[in-house]
Amino acid sequence: MTVRALERIVVVGGGIAGLTACDTLRERGFDGELIVVGSEPHAAYSRPALSKALLKLDGDLAAHELAPATHGAREIRGASAVGLDVERRTISLEDGDELAYDGLIIASGSRAKRLSDHPGELTLRGLDDAHALRNRLADRPDVVVLGGGVLGMEIASGAVAAGCRVTLIATSEPMSRQLGAHVSGILTRSARERGVRIVVTASASVDADGERPVVRTSDGSTYGSDVLVSAVGDVPNTEWLRVSGLLTGGRLLADGHGRVAPGVVAAGDVTGWGPGGVRTPLWTSAIEQAKAAASALLDPEARALRFQNYFWTEQFGHSVKAVGPLPVHGSPEVLVGGGDAAPALLRWQGADGIRSVISIDHRIPIPRLRRLTDAASD
Amino acid sequence: MTAILKEDTMRIELDRPRCEGHGLCEEAAPDLMHLDDEGELVIDVSEVDGADVARAQAAVRVCPVAALRLLAADAADAEAAAE
Repeated sequence: MTVRALERIVVVGGGIAGLTACDTLRERGFDGELIVVGSEPHAAYSRPALSKALLKLDGDLAAHELAPATHGAREIRGASAVGLDVERRTISLEDGDELAYDGLIIASGSRAKRLSDHPGELTLRGLDDAHALRNRLADRPDVVVLGGGVLGMEIASGAVAAGCRVTLIATSEPMSRQLGAHVSGILTRSARERGVRIVVTASASVDADGERPVVRTSDGSTYGSDVLVSAVGDVPNTEWLRVSGLLTGGRLLADGHGRVAPGVVAAGDVTGWGPGGVRTPLWTSAIEQAKAAASALLDPEARALRFQNYFWTEQFGHSVKAVGPLPVHGSPEVLVGGGDAAPALLRWQGADGIRSVISIDHRIPIPRLRRLTDAASD
Repeated sequence: MTAILKEDTMRIELDRPRCEGHGLCEEAAPDLMHLDDEGELVIDVSEVDGADVARAQAAVRVCPVAALRLLAADAADAEAAAE
């Protein structure tokens, strides 16, 4: 098999993974034609900021803006890819246009999961969603947030800070699936102190029959509100790959280099990654995967990604940073602070010997946080 | 000042009020910047050229709050003069 010269690389996805992939291609010397297809009309932005600074009514309205791109790609915004033909090496766009490529980077991201088609069921995934929600919060509506993960808790935090009456409905103690029972306890206590009503239920659904959507929990209770925001996870944007032959059981899976097929790599929220095929829809993993995938597209000898997740959240006055496998279980080793209250620096010994460290309101650079997961740090 | 710099010299600019001290930039470019004991970012090498430009760019890109910028050194001088 001859290696096809890469004259034109197409990147499907205008988010941080697509942007980072373009930057990496240029850094690694690719000087051919570069085309980015993005479904949103906006330039790439910082998604973590949408549910943090951007929800604060007095916050920085530019908090999500990133440094302008310097990769010189042709950007096609507001256009979605609807099909891929790996034999002919072309993608098709919704307006009927086709784009030929020598190399393809799939970074089409994911979208918010919804529990109904009711337009009153809001979600927060894109920049337009954030602006819409922020505008609604300004009227101080009664808010129901469905979902006790990072996004749900950040939305509840922003809504209660805006002066809204907030009910958060979750199917387990908020944040426990991400950070374990210990840190969940600290965060939910602060949420309640600020006036958030937390409802933990076995399951919940959205009743979309009325004028406004209503949440129904498994015990039959219903929760109406002026504003309902669902934060119940994300769905990878893989529909355009349905007949491409690249999906495995409906999922896109890349190896530890990001490779999917000859001339095709993938990165970010859209793809499972590595031997486990797990999707990791986080800011830093999107960036690291994009670097690895772009490198692998240019260089068959590129190294596989070795990466430890990092994620952070800001909610109810707390700033939390976490590295290492999550969730953690059991009681932590207390490195700084009192343990049951913030500020604290906490460490857990994982079952497989890999440790996790979580800081709450304790300012510590990530490289140092990572070193604390090393056994050598004792 | 700019005369002694090479044409492709870039300057790393920090918007300090924006910085939240994640330190992802230090991970991307440990030779160019680090967080001190208080978690404040210190730019150790602000004027970069050659291979350091790519490292600086990676540091700028990874910052989730866009607290870093990379400018052509003479443009950064002009901006500083205008302030």
